[in-house]
Amino acid sequence: MSLAEGILDPSKKTTGDMFIGWAPAPKVDRRFLLGALPLAFAGTSGASWLIAKNLDDPGAGAWLTNTTHSVTGVLTHHPYPMIRFADTNAPFGLRTVLIVAIGKCTSALEWRDRAAEAVTASGVLIQRKDHQMLEVPPFAQEWLASVDGPVDTALAAPTIESLGSARLAGTIMDSKCFFGVMRPGRGKTHKACASLCIRGGIPPSFWVRSRDGREQIMLMTDAAGDPMPKDILPLVADPVEAEGEIVRVGDLIQFRADTSAYRRI
Amino acid sequence: MGHQYQAVQWNKNKIAYDLYVVTAIIVFIGIFIFIGLQIRPNGHSADLVILLIRALGVTAFTMLTIILLIGPLARISPRFLPMLYNRRHLGVITFMVSGAHFGLALIWYHGGGPLNPFVSLFVSNPLYDSIPGFPFEVLGLGAFVVLFVMAATSHDFWLNNLSAPVWKALHMLVYPAYVLLVFHIVLGALMTEKSIVYPIMTAATFITVSSLHLFTGLKEWGADSAMKSLKAKGWIDVGAPTSIPNMRAVIASLPKGDRVAVFRYDDKISAVTNACRHQNGPLGEGRVIDGCITCPWHGWQYRPDDGVSPPPFTEKIATYNVKIENDRVFVDPKPNPPGTRTTPAIISQSGAPAS
Repeated sequence: MSLAEGILDPSKKTTGDMFIGWAPAPKVDRRFLLGALPLAFAGTSGASWLIAKNLDDPGAGAWLTNTTHSVTGVLTHHPYPMIRFADTNAPFGLRTVLIVAIGKCTSALEWRDRAAEAVTASGVLIQRKDHQMLEVPPFAQEWLASVDGPVDTALAAPTIESLGSARLAGTIMDSKCFFGVMRPGRGKTHKACASLCIRGGIPPSFWVRSRDGREQIMLMTDAAGDPMPKDILPLVADPVEAEGEIVRVGDLIQFRADTSAYRRI
Repeated sequence: MGHQYQAVQWNKNKIAYDLYVVTAIIVFIGIFIFIGLQIRPNGHSADLVILLIRALGVTAFTMLTIILLIGPLARISPRFLPMLYNRRHLGVITFMVSGAHFGLALIWYHGGGPLNPFVSLFVSNPLYDSIPGFPFEVLGLGAFVVLFVMAATSHDFWLNNLSAPVWKALHMLVYPAYVLLVFHIVLGALMTEKSIVYPIMTAATFITVSSLHLFTGLKEWGADSAMKSLKAKGWIDVGAPTSIPNMRAVIASLPKGDRVAVFRYDDKISAVTNACRHQNGPLGEGRVIDGCITCPWHGWQYRPDDGVSPPPFTEKIATYNVKIENDRVFVDPKPNPPGTRTTPAIISQSGAPAS
């Protein structure tokens, strides 16, 4: 005899209106369950529908993992890994594609001895509107190939134009997730991931939105135009404001401000 | 009820219960992901992994909410007892779903970086001194650890080896875990998503769980208070013999806070502790079936006069001496050792004690 069966003869049905797990359920319970279980099923399904239906729009970022994308241009590493190439359709005649490694450790990327070279880089394209990024494997031979010919100095050292100082309110994002690897790649639920990505060398971006919904994504550097130091990490993904200099480097807009210029709002 | 331990002692009701739960989970997650992908087409939908993480999290919270509702609902109406019967399976499945949510979130948000994912979980958001900025992840981890401990000790093996009071106290940690989960949601998803639907739903579930527990708690407190006023000469007056429904019990509160279940079966009255040896289930809410007091939670049975489970089982519960004087039933508040045979009080035809 086991607990599963109990000590009653199930065929006797002597439990009255009391439910006992190892005996047949009384009629009154069966009737109740026939009504309550479908109702609970419908209720939880409806809740699932309601919760999923009201999720925020995560934006239009894309992570095109099904195809390999190649970019030929000039490789540079300051302030972050990137390739610039001539594009007559682009606003300033050139386009910049940021380079990041697979995962969250771009600082481990093998490439520094190839800086200011003409190269072809191959990887997975990440794109949010006009902002492009190439995700590549960590070892240089897996993604980088030299290209013969002279290096275009306009691409190696493009014009730097100051657009003035401004106090802006926005959010510090890790560019990789925000450009499309994660949707949504923002908000508090993404704060830890964004912090980890930036700690791993992925360029931080300052995401600013105007009241009419237009957005501007600016590559963040310190006031001298060098990579942001790690002390920015606690402010990542939170609403912040900062006064800094807006600079155009080729087609890329940079927001230059030291960490001390940022304030959580 | 003594028996050899098995991983799960399946029966038809348990199989039906688990099938229903698993089907509901699949449908819940399926709807969530389908709607999540469809609601914003043209590349604006959340990605599949994040939808799955969210769906698993919402499912686990919904399941835990239902688990916590079953207890008070079963106290309000015995119609909910079938849902209580296999609640432990529901708890273990909830742990599995929350484990999938935790594992996937850990890999997706904390994996592949310069830090160990478990270190990242604690340090990637360092705002421990801020309420709105507080790292909600550690709250979820705290709740997950409790669910793990509960799932790991859910088997009757642990119930017997830890003793019922320790096991019960351990499993009462579900309440702090639920509060941790509410704050995990409030300081995480609710700080990220803009829709008003989420705070409303979270508040509604929390208020429902709290108020149902409060309602049933106050009801029991009221019953205990009423019983305390009936004390006389050290013995507890539980009322007229005929006020106890046949084959059922009234529950009396003892001076030290214990409860005693006083059963009437035909012309006899016996009293035993109200706490089932199995999971402290309320024996007084059960009934006498085939001559045995039967616990409403899982059907464990005891003979009314000696508190011993019928052969081949060997469990024993404390008994209490009873007497009838002046058409009133009195219970000696001093418990007898578990398994002690007592003489049932006999109700005469007139309602007076039989000589």
